[in-house]
Amino acid sequence: MSRYQEHLWMINGRDLFDLMEVFIKTREVIAPVRGHGGEVIFYPIESIEDVAWDWQYFNSVLPPKRFFLPQTEIMYEYRYDNGYKITPRYDDRVRMIFGIRPCDVNALIFLDRFFGGGSLSKKSPDEEPLFPDSHYIRRRANTFIIAFGCHQPGENCFCVCCDAGPFLEEDYDLQLTSMNGDYAVEVGSARGLKIIYGNEHFFRKASSSEVDELSRIKEDALNKFGDTCSYMSKAIRRITEGKVDDSLWEKLAERCLDCGGCSYVCPTCCCYNIVDISLDDKSGIRTRTWDSCAFSGFTRIAGGEILRSDKKDRLKRRFFHKLSYQYIEKNKRHGCVGCGRCITTCLADINMPLVVESIRKQKVIVQATKRVRHEAEI
Amino acid sequence: MKDVYFPDIAVIDSIRNETGDVKTFTMRFKDPDIQENLSYRSGQFFEVSIFGVGEMPISITSTPSRKGFFELSVKNVGLVSGALHSMTPSTEVGIRGPFGNGFPYEEVLGKELLFVGGGIGLAPLRSLINNVLDNRDDFARITILYGSRTPGDLVFKDEFKIWENQPDVTMLVTVDRGDEEWTGNVGVVTTLFPKADIENENTVAFVCGPPVMIPFVIKDLLNLGFTDDTIISTLERHMKCGVGKCGHCCIGHKYVCMDGPVFSYREMKAMTE
Repeated sequence: MSRYQEHLWMINGRDLFDLMEVFIKTREVIAPVRGHGGEVIFYPIESIEDVAWDWQYFNSVLPPKRFFLPQTEIMYEYRYDNGYKITPRYDDRVRMIFGIRPCDVNALIFLDRFFGGGSLSKKSPDEEPLFPDSHYIRRRANTFIIAFGCHQPGENCFCVCCDAGPFLEEDYDLQLTSMNGDYAVEVGSARGLKIIYGNEHFFRKASSSEVDELSRIKEDALNKFGDTCSYMSKAIRRITEGKVDDSLWEKLAERCLDCGGCSYVCPTCCCYNIVDISLDDKSGIRTRTWDSCAFSGFTRIAGGEILRSDKKDRLKRRFFHKLSYQYIEKNKRHGCVGCGRCITTCLADINMPLVVESIRKQKVIVQATKRVRHEAEI
Repeated sequence: MKDVYFPDIAVIDSIRNETGDVKTFTMRFKDPDIQENLSYRSGQFFEVSIFGVGEMPISITSTPSRKGFFELSVKNVGLVSGALHSMTPSTEVGIRGPFGNGFPYEEVLGKELLFVGGGIGLAPLRSLINNVLDNRDDFARITILYGSRTPGDLVFKDEFKIWENQPDVTMLVTVDRGDEEWTGNVGVVTTLFPKADIENENTVAFVCGPPVMIPFVIKDLLNLGFTDDTIISTLERHMKCGVGKCGHCCIGHKYVCMDGPVFSYREMKAMTE
């Protein structure tokens, strides 16, 4: 239990509705909404009526990372007028992200540590920030997190194998879990506690039976993952020691389409490119855009040589980055939170559980077994 | 909090043509305080911005022992380097950095130094060579071996004389292919090894050049008795950020922009792609 939690709080569904309407008036609220095709995406909302509620979806098709690391962002503007003048662009909007799932919160913690150089990390407060990324940090620092714990894993979910869900233990502001029409409210930060005390009339203290009920829900959710899992440890060890036979990457390279979709939907993938765009002969912008190690041009150097020109080397690189112990040590966790989006997205069926299982069994698995069945229709 | 992506403005003071496609730019920061407080190590690099075109990592070729300016030698090979080549003195560019680890300096005090350069690879070595020569008494014998494809591709020619006239310095130059006027050595840079009296005892070798050159040089150095720790080289990657974030320069778990670009042969051998 988080050290900020004096008690478990409860909020009635209707009151949560009203509380959110208050928030919408005072800050940008980003929440899961239903897109025109029926898929759930995170989007700034104008009314709480637009929200897709926790029991209506497993997870969004895209992680909310774009609100912290936009697909394209302007880092600064330059203008020439008897010398260059450079104006940085920061996004200091006060925001709340509502309905984010535990896997995605864990991915944000990963990114905080990576871009913050340790400064936002509660697990390593003594770490000196090294080249902190102010563009990321400023967005992140002004965003309040209300997470939804997961009762029911989606068919591609494996957060349980990645220590990233289905509930958060720390590193959130508030965590809500629906319980018979009400929501149990766990407090994970000082500013989370401030929200409770600032809006106390919306909340009540949970009864002891409700406290027990939440524990039961959490235990049930874990059980719903079944016993088929993505066993990471063997893959981590073999990748770290360079013991994965290259034939695995060669076989996977035969079917990889180089599309970079895995990186774009991955909540922890954050490689980027820096691109200038001139607006006229005196001014322009410097932008940062998402990039992917899956692309052949990613390692192009001056003169045109491409250092990882072989697709198998690029696949190997991506999974080395996600799973090698050296990176785990650097980032304090491996680079997967088990959200399952690579499974959903990859047209060639190359994804984390498949690679892990292939390494474990030392043969290329054609299609990973579905880890979780729906136990209840949604 | 300092924005690590924010470039400071530098002004081009002068431009020197080294070869048909290499120019050396002498620059200084527009803000005198920034220039005054500039501190860097030989082997470090700057991210150079040509606004509207982009940014490129360029090793610093001037020595930190000479103040008031800095120099970048750039080969015209791409978009940003091409744009820089088209510039004239008093033009403004953006500079971020210095980044990277730089060459070991304190660690090699008192030792004999062997520099092996190829083509534009002499640019980062030149920073260390001049740094060492400016502090000549702190080091033992110095050998500089340099090769390029043709006599027209030799960079920093004006300085060769200055270097070889320093006490206890051997300087040998070779080209792959000579021309009518060339009377010097012909052959790849490794053909200079037997001509120079190279001792492996108490010597550290610094190797910079095109990727095709490096393995041959290292092989010969190992045959001469150098060890994995006494061979120092640099790796080339297109570092987009310089601060260990963008991912472009990663090899294994190393970021060339932060952990490098200078690595010992021992470190390079341990790298997995």
